[in-house]
Amino acid sequence: MPNEVTGMARTRWHSDYHGRRKWWTFIEPGEILPMADSSHLITRRRFFLKSAGATLALPAMNSLLPGVLGSGLAIGAARAQETKTRMVAIGNLLGFYQPEFFPESPGANYKMTRLLSPLESVSKDFTLYSGLDHGVKGGHFAIHSFLSGVLSMDAKGRPEGNISLDQRAAETVGGATRFPSLTIGSEDGIHGGCQMCWTRAGTRVPPIPGATELFRRLFVNEASSDLTKVKDRFDLKGSILDAVAGDARALEKRIDAEDREKLDEYFSSIRQVEKQLEQQRVWADVAKPEPPFKEPKNRNMVDDLPILYDLIVLALQTDSTRIATLEIGGDFESRYFDINEGYHGLSHHGQLQAKIDDLLVLEDYQMKHFARFLEKLKSIKEGDGTLLDHTMVLFGSGMANANAHTNRNLPVILAGGGFSHGEFRAMPGEGIDRKPLCNLYLSMLHKFGVETDSFGTSTGTLI
Amino acid sequence: MKRTGLISFLLLVSAVSPGASSRAADDPAQFLSTYCVECHGPDTQKGDRRFDLLTFPPSEELGIIEVQDIIDQLNLGEMPPRKAKQPDEQQKLAVIDALSEQVLSARETIASVGGQTVLRRLNQREYLNTVGDLFGMPMKTFDPTTKFPRDKTVEHMDNIGEVLVTSGYLLDQYLEAADRVVERALGMTNQPETKEWHFNGNFDQVQELSYSHGRVYRFRYLCVYEVPNTVNHEGGYAAISDFADGVSADGFYEVSVLAQSMHRDTPYDPAIFRMDFREPFRLGIVPGDKRAGTLHHPQPIEPQLAEVTVGDGDPEWQTMTVWLEKGQTPRFIFPNGMQNCRNAFSTIARQYKDDWPENDPYKGGIVEARRIVLQHGKMPHIRIHEVKVRGPLYEEWPPEPQKSVFGEGGFSEKNIREILTRFADRAYRRPVMEEEIDRLVALVEVRKAKGHSPRQATKDAIKAILASPSFLYLAEPKTGGDENPDQLLGPHDLAARLSYFLWSTMPDDELRTLADNGEIMDREVLRLQMDRLLHSPRSAAFREGFLDSWLNLRSLGDMPPDRDAFAVYYARDLQNAMKEESRLFLQHLIEKNAPITDFLDADYSFVNKPLAEHYGLPLGNFPPETAHQFQRVSLGPESHRGGLLGMGSVLTVSANGIETSPVIRGVWLLENILGTPPSPPPDNVPPIDPDVRGATSIRDQLAKHRDSTTCNECHRKIDPPGFALENFDPIGAWRTHYPKGKTKGPMIDASGELPSGESFDDIIGFKKLLSERQELFARMLVSRVMSYAIGRRIEASDRMEVDRIVGAIKSGNNGMRSLIEEIVTGPVFCSP
Repeated sequence: MPNEVTGMARTRWHSDYHGRRKWWTFIEPGEILPMADSSHLITRRRFFLKSAGATLALPAMNSLLPGVLGSGLAIGAARAQETKTRMVAIGNLLGFYQPEFFPESPGANYKMTRLLSPLESVSKDFTLYSGLDHGVKGGHFAIHSFLSGVLSMDAKGRPEGNISLDQRAAETVGGATRFPSLTIGSEDGIHGGCQMCWTRAGTRVPPIPGATELFRRLFVNEASSDLTKVKDRFDLKGSILDAVAGDARALEKRIDAEDREKLDEYFSSIRQVEKQLEQQRVWADVAKPEPPFKEPKNRNMVDDLPILYDLIVLALQTDSTRIATLEIGGDFESRYFDINEGYHGLSHHGQLQAKIDDLLVLEDYQMKHFARFLEKLKSIKEGDGTLLDHTMVLFGSGMANANAHTNRNLPVILAGGGFSHGEFRAMPGEGIDRKPLCNLYLSMLHKFGVETDSFGTSTGTLI
Repeated sequence: MKRTGLISFLLLVSAVSPGASSRAADDPAQFLSTYCVECHGPDTQKGDRRFDLLTFPPSEELGIIEVQDIIDQLNLGEMPPRKAKQPDEQQKLAVIDALSEQVLSARETIASVGGQTVLRRLNQREYLNTVGDLFGMPMKTFDPTTKFPRDKTVEHMDNIGEVLVTSGYLLDQYLEAADRVVERALGMTNQPETKEWHFNGNFDQVQELSYSHGRVYRFRYLCVYEVPNTVNHEGGYAAISDFADGVSADGFYEVSVLAQSMHRDTPYDPAIFRMDFREPFRLGIVPGDKRAGTLHHPQPIEPQLAEVTVGDGDPEWQTMTVWLEKGQTPRFIFPNGMQNCRNAFSTIARQYKDDWPENDPYKGGIVEARRIVLQHGKMPHIRIHEVKVRGPLYEEWPPEPQKSVFGEGGFSEKNIREILTRFADRAYRRPVMEEEIDRLVALVEVRKAKGHSPRQATKDAIKAILASPSFLYLAEPKTGGDENPDQLLGPHDLAARLSYFLWSTMPDDELRTLADNGEIMDREVLRLQMDRLLHSPRSAAFREGFLDSWLNLRSLGDMPPDRDAFAVYYARDLQNAMKEESRLFLQHLIEKNAPITDFLDADYSFVNKPLAEHYGLPLGNFPPETAHQFQRVSLGPESHRGGLLGMGSVLTVSANGIETSPVIRGVWLLENILGTPPSPPPDNVPPIDPDVRGATSIRDQLAKHRDSTTCNECHRKIDPPGFALENFDPIGAWRTHYPKGKTKGPMIDASGELPSGESFDDIIGFKKLLSERQELFARMLVSRVMSYAIGRRIEASDRMEVDRIVGAIKSGNNGMRSLIEEIVTGPVFCSP
């Protein structure tokens, strides 16, 4: 039945809607094909890995049903025994003023620059890289490739499109946490903002825009009447997907091969929503952790930056998610520092010292709060180490030198995550020994437990 | 800098530029085996590279990357290494050219979709328009697509099927949007009662104004000071604080205001305000929703719903009728107000401090400045004394969406099948199939079994229709199936294609009828329909959509001009005015069937007063009362305007809001006007790092750049058109000198020499040379319109059709309407 299997898989999969939804809906399109006879599955190694992970996750969740749990914070405690690896990535729109960012000479005993100086207290917990980038061009138009290595316009034809680091990792988390990942930060900015997070389908994952929204997602439970409504919405979505999948199969018969390829996107989208619905159904019955403080009010990206960092720490600590990203753009603006000229204008400093000085005020602030974030992670004990030991934190930007609009030699810091640190590693940015930034990402994915031998434009690993 | 377009076009350019070396004799394989294979061949593979097995032209991605790498190394002069055998400069250039061309064509082959439009998803704006039409409901204040991911574009085109991807995220958003749309259109069962509100006090203002308004006015007046588009938002939106929760049902509302203009005869230096006091003050209404953020700041949905002018005498009542959504509240704006009231308050307080009859002299501080100026000064503003709101009002009940979906008699359980059939038939833009209705009826049963009413269950089935691929995609199947690929589009697909081309929405009843009876397949009928659609006001969707796609005008604002250096851009709402100018220009070309060469140069354009001022045109014909309205103006050569290259929209979108770059504008012009995109810069070449400290001008820097033969190969094509535009600043104002801080810098030299050897002194001379290349432009324009019309890239196989159309319109007078007509009635438009 090999060639029929695709079609069969869909049929099979739809008839299963209202009963037990199987974890094999985790499967990527075209990767795994359930047979007509229910429980037999094509044996592909990757599938088994995922499937095993997913079934392991279920009992863990069952033990977390509200009756068993008093406070939500207990979720973290209850599951502290298993070692969890987390990933956080932070990026800004305009990079950092390079002469005050990169130290002069590499090695373990490098001299801290002005911008790095807030990180003094955690100097043994991070590695600074120079000479890493994605080899792309386009100034503002290219910064969205920071976490993917691939320009969105080039995504087509690549096996994994321009999927970003966080989303690639999130695919393997499954329903283990309430949120497979949290994309946080500024929705916009010059040319659409940071736009760091991308799905396999080449669409942007829009960020949760403010502290209020993030707080609600993490801590505010739906009222029980709302919960009934929420569950009814899940039901409705499931039924609609049943119907439209039928339409899609009918349409498939009337179109040619090229169009069918396009329609496959639609089929795989149905599967993705199904998968998501399944997770949402399970988590709808699990109480959220107790809120640790009052709901914060949204102000602006400058004033809210520390709160967003704090909320990320809480999200990790309570195991609400294991993956978070933070996009610093939008209204992260000079006016909140009482500086007249806009951030973008300052970044085009044209080497004028007065402008550079103002620019550095904005950049110092970002470094200071990044340092505070690392310190906070480090202060939290978890298992045999600290939360920082179990959280790899990437910090940087898709913009290298905003004054010249370059995307080469990006600012890149990797902290925590159990890697060995304390060095400034100057990588050869040119020539045959040049290593793409994606090599670092591949190393991170491996640490996260993703079994893959490539990511983006990687040519190997870096650590 | 994207590089696409046809190779044949590139060839044409090289034909235009004598001096380009002949290409036929260059054999990359020969070159490589002579100079490279010794180190990168079967015996040694230095750097892990092996070239003897490469095929030319490269046929897959890996080969392309390898070849691109070779080009880069040659460009940089890094390879062959110094001590190895060296090719001479001519040879090197020739092989670089040959390889570049091969890479280009290989990329096109890989991207090709076989000259056929791929199953095309509605893009965001098409979805929005279509949903509005399906239910016959107003959409200005309602946007269910705000969470849709931004559609991907190809050469700025936002309707290319191949790249309009669908993801799980988007599908989920479609489900969410369907829910909102259907509940909005069909949710209300009983007509809500009409209510009246009267507000005549307790008008608190934005936080920053609250103290002074409390002290001075006791919140008696609702005041609006500045334009909405400011930096600080401290007086651009006046919201009724007692009405912050908004209205409780969708519908029309009468909003009556008792208002007057204050201090239009300001005694202060008018420069403080950056507004034109000759114009009567305008008061507009935009919706606000406190769930979307503070009511005193801009919000995602805030179209201007109505506007009146406000007199200077005693307050007068005026009534505006606006549509508001549940939860929305009317907010008042002042579209020709001052530019920044925060600055104005403090400047006036300081500059006129002798006027303030206070014991304690003014010591600075913005809070006190506001109070003092309001108490003792004459701050210009619009003052609202009272507001009355009455509604919701309906022209009919049940409202149009319910009537059109449920029928005249309203919802009835026994009509469910009929209701769903009628709706799906319209939503799918073709006769619906029994099997499809069966699935929908089954869904109704499932929902009823879950305890929902028949009406609710039917609404849920309609939500499914809005998420169906038959609604979301323009399928356009070949009528003959795979075996008869040369068949024409079916009548329903043809009607939809025409409608989405010119209206960006589903076919209307007339078009649908002609599809049902097949008459649309007749070319003459098709032509008449094209005329009808173009003639309708709804063709504004084409003018907007196409100009956004061709000239990338949708990106105006993505790189916001510096608010300090280019304050007028915000103060006078130039961004919208610039877009409007371009749209009116296109509208004129279509209506009058005027020649497309007017895009290259013309002695007329369409401007309002702010734009005329910006362009330095005579202002005599703009009466203050209608200053913001557009009119046709004649342009002499002294205006330096005329055609696209004089339009603020084009000049702003091709700069970055801070400074201009001849390289970027040059590339923009080659791509979008001549259709001859240059090759992208080789990797590793450092871009120009702007250094404005010294005397080095951008021209000097570029000249240095062109000293290198390899750089010169492209830059001699790119830079000159960019130089010609240097007299226009980043927002398109005319300038003779570069700025140096706030003073005059070096004089601008806008002369240049094209690769052909022809030279020009300035923009006027350049436009003359451009006009001599109108064939290139015609080809480019035809390709872009056609691409937009059929929703796919134009490929090499379309070249014949493009040439045919260029020839056909040339035999007339190159009319824009003829161009559209030739496309619509041509074979490519009518094929799948």
